[in-house]
Amino acid sequence: MKILVIDDEQPTLTMFQLLLSTLGHEVLLANSGERGLEVFAEHRPPLVLTDIKMPGMDGIEVLSRLKEDEPNVEVVVITGHGDMDVAIQALHLDATDFINKPLRLEVLEKALERVEERIKLNTEKFITLATRFTSDTMVVSVRGTLGTADEAEIKHAFKGAGRAQRIVLDFTENTSINGAAIALLTDSIRSFYNDGGKVVISGLSENFRNVFEIMGVTRFATFVDNIQDVQL
Amino acid sequence: MIRSKFAQLSLKNKFFFSILIVILLISGTIALLARWILISGLTQELEMRGTAIAHSVATRGTEYILENDTDHLLSVLFDEKQLYERRNLVAYIYVEGKNGKVMSHTFTTPFPKRLKGINPVTHKVEKSVEIVPFGGHEAYDIAVPIKEGIYQIGTVHVGLSKAHIDNLVGKLRAMFLGFISAVIIITFWVSHRLAKYIADPVMTLTKISDDLSRGNFSSSDLINTEEQIACPAFHDTDLPCWHFDEQRMGSGKTEARPHRCKKCAFYNEPSDGDEVQQLTTSFRNMVWSIRLYRRRLQESENTYRSLFRSGPDPIFVVDVQTRKLVDANPRTEELYGYTRDELVGMPYSVLGEEHAKECFEYFGNDELCAEAMKSARIVHLRKDGIPMYVNLTACLISYRTRPAIIVATTDVTDIVEKDAQLIQASKMKSLGEMSTGVAHELNQPLNAIRMGSDFLSMVHEQGIEIPPEQYVQVVTEISTQVDRASDIINTLRSFGRKADLLLEDVNLNEPVGSVVSLLSRQFLIEDVHIVTELDSELPYITAQHNKLQQVLLNLVINARDAIVERNEDGRDVRGRILIRTEYDDDGVSVSVEDNGTGIPDHVAEKVFEPFFTTKATGQGMGLGLAISYGIVREYGGELSILSTVGEGTCFTVRFPRQEVARVAN
Repeated sequence: MKILVIDDEQPTLTMFQLLLSTLGHEVLLANSGERGLEVFAEHRPPLVLTDIKMPGMDGIEVLSRLKEDEPNVEVVVITGHGDMDVAIQALHLDATDFINKPLRLEVLEKALERVEERIKLNTEKFITLATRFTSDTMVVSVRGTLGTADEAEIKHAFKGAGRAQRIVLDFTENTSINGAAIALLTDSIRSFYNDGGKVVISGLSENFRNVFEIMGVTRFATFVDNIQDVQL
Repeated sequence: MIRSKFAQLSLKNKFFFSILIVILLISGTIALLARWILISGLTQELEMRGTAIAHSVATRGTEYILENDTDHLLSVLFDEKQLYERRNLVAYIYVEGKNGKVMSHTFTTPFPKRLKGINPVTHKVEKSVEIVPFGGHEAYDIAVPIKEGIYQIGTVHVGLSKAHIDNLVGKLRAMFLGFISAVIIITFWVSHRLAKYIADPVMTLTKISDDLSRGNFSSSDLINTEEQIACPAFHDTDLPCWHFDEQRMGSGKTEARPHRCKKCAFYNEPSDGDEVQQLTTSFRNMVWSIRLYRRRLQESENTYRSLFRSGPDPIFVVDVQTRKLVDANPRTEELYGYTRDELVGMPYSVLGEEHAKECFEYFGNDELCAEAMKSARIVHLRKDGIPMYVNLTACLISYRTRPAIIVATTDVTDIVEKDAQLIQASKMKSLGEMSTGVAHELNQPLNAIRMGSDFLSMVHEQGIEIPPEQYVQVVTEISTQVDRASDIINTLRSFGRKADLLLEDVNLNEPVGSVVSLLSRQFLIEDVHIVTELDSELPYITAQHNKLQQVLLNLVINARDAIVERNEDGRDVRGRILIRTEYDDDGVSVSVEDNGTGIPDHVAEKVFEPFFTTKATGQGMGLGLAISYGIVREYGGELSILSTVGEGTCFTVRFPRQEVARVAN
């Protein structure tokens, strides 16, 4: 896969070059935001990795410019460790994912896997939300990118819970959630919890789990790694 | 000998003896003169009377002698002898004939033979007087010749009783001596009284003077307690007595006229009475005056003494010539740890050698002495050798007639330490503000290291073959990045270190370098570029590296904030901070110039004031520049500001050159 890496740090670029090419990808490098946009325009790679803090044009601006130019491009932002505000800001701008610096290889690999899967799924049509009921539980399966467009569906799904005592939100691994959708989900989960219901979230990647934690969702919902861990 | 003995006599005795001697001399002279005049006069008078009797007998008896009629002659003799009081005076009368035979006599006894032929007289002499003895008595025998024509026909002898004359003389003498004695006694008494009158007040004055000399004012007979209470000035030494005291006339012209009594209880008019009384009055006034001034002096002395003793700060008195301490107040013992005995006589230089030298140089020069010498933050040593910071004021005085310096010190060690703490706190705050930037800065090398090591382990685990140059590249990069990370950490540590209080030789380029290395990359992300123009031959200055970093950090961060503020206002110009170091003959300077918003003049006046800030609440305390200013001033430097609104600001720090260190450079 063709990947564009934008970072002002030459050592980081060098390392990305080595890692990604060893992993079998074609790597394009740019040492500034402006340069990155130029390279993107020239090569149009399906995935862009960009640092957030850069002199001149920063990562957030690069992200929004890219999305403007090509909404389908997958952009993974690289943020400083624990810099959740920036991460959430990036998610609002439809970033696919975010990776914390210092960057761990496994996290990078997982992110790449997810992106690859999403790219594959993106070409097919799929349903974002699917609900099914088992006795007192409503299971909501989430596929693909949960974005602003899905607002009505999320609301509908939670309304449809009816008498269900419990909602299980089952995210597939390649799921990405847009910032607005996170806010909506958080609201819905909180109101369901306040009405006496229980919420279980499964399969969410660590990054997004962190984001939910920041949003305070952990107080209203329990997290499990896999849907199999939930007793239906 | 006599004169010196006389000089030792009391005044009274001098008077007494002088008058006595004079009186005695006069009396003696009078007595001698009187005796000579009176006695000889008396004797002469009696002789004349005797002679007269003799002539009378001679005249009356001539006829009877010629007739040889002894009976009538005898009756003439008796007539003459028995007449009135002559019988006491005239002892005898007898007449001798021509042939020396006694013709008649008044003796009731036979004619004493011893008288026969005695005291002869010839017709050529008028009379002859001789003392002759007769019958157990003595008499003045007056012989007068009896003449008939030119012939001497006989001699008349009239014997005047010597006992009677002596008796008369004795009476006269006794009377005279009595009179002289009376005069002497009266004179003695008068002189005694006079001497006493003069000497007694003098002795009293002497006694009082002695008392005054001993400092005893209360025993004075001249001032009684009732008067003391009546005088308003007695208990108020600040109230000048306008009857007598002209001390304040000159300076007190503008003052309201103070209290004036109708009749002064103390000061009497000196014209009353004689000289002795005048002396006493004057003396009394003098004593009162001295007393008042002494009280005033004592009060003043007590005031200053208590100021000296109770002053909260140490005070020393240093002799200028011996350069030793001559006195110190109790606070000194407390602060410096020496006892007073140790302090007195100790060379002043023991406390602080450098300053002592400076001080004596200053006060050794007569022209400058009027001004007090003020020095701030000087190191003084306690007894145990522990240094402390003091602010010091020294001024010249006269101490027991010798030139001395009063040195008052204030312990400012706490303040200096608090200052250091404040600076440290402000520095830590700056570091805190920078922490996000620093974290990012530190994340960069860590990221590269992480990726490099992950890459190596992946290669190793999956057995992927990579070219050796790639391997070397990764390992080298990891090593480089580790160095970079430790550099950042070292810089941070040097910032965080608390500065010690000693000055060192500093090259201004060094703190500039560390500040730039810490901030330049961070600032780059905010699109602020730090540019340096450093003079590589910069002379050293005397300061503290650590605190200079703090000053530069403040200036550079302020410059950055000005640029960010400008960009928020919408003028997107590339941020540029220029740090330049320069030197000339007088000093070394570092300037930090930005192209930020600039500071309006009315703000520029206040930027060095503590707690002045233009930033939003919570953004800054407004201490940065105030602290920087304080630090710069501490090293004798100046911090100046030059700013144009909309174009930028330039802060310049200028330090005096360190002369000695220039050689070292």
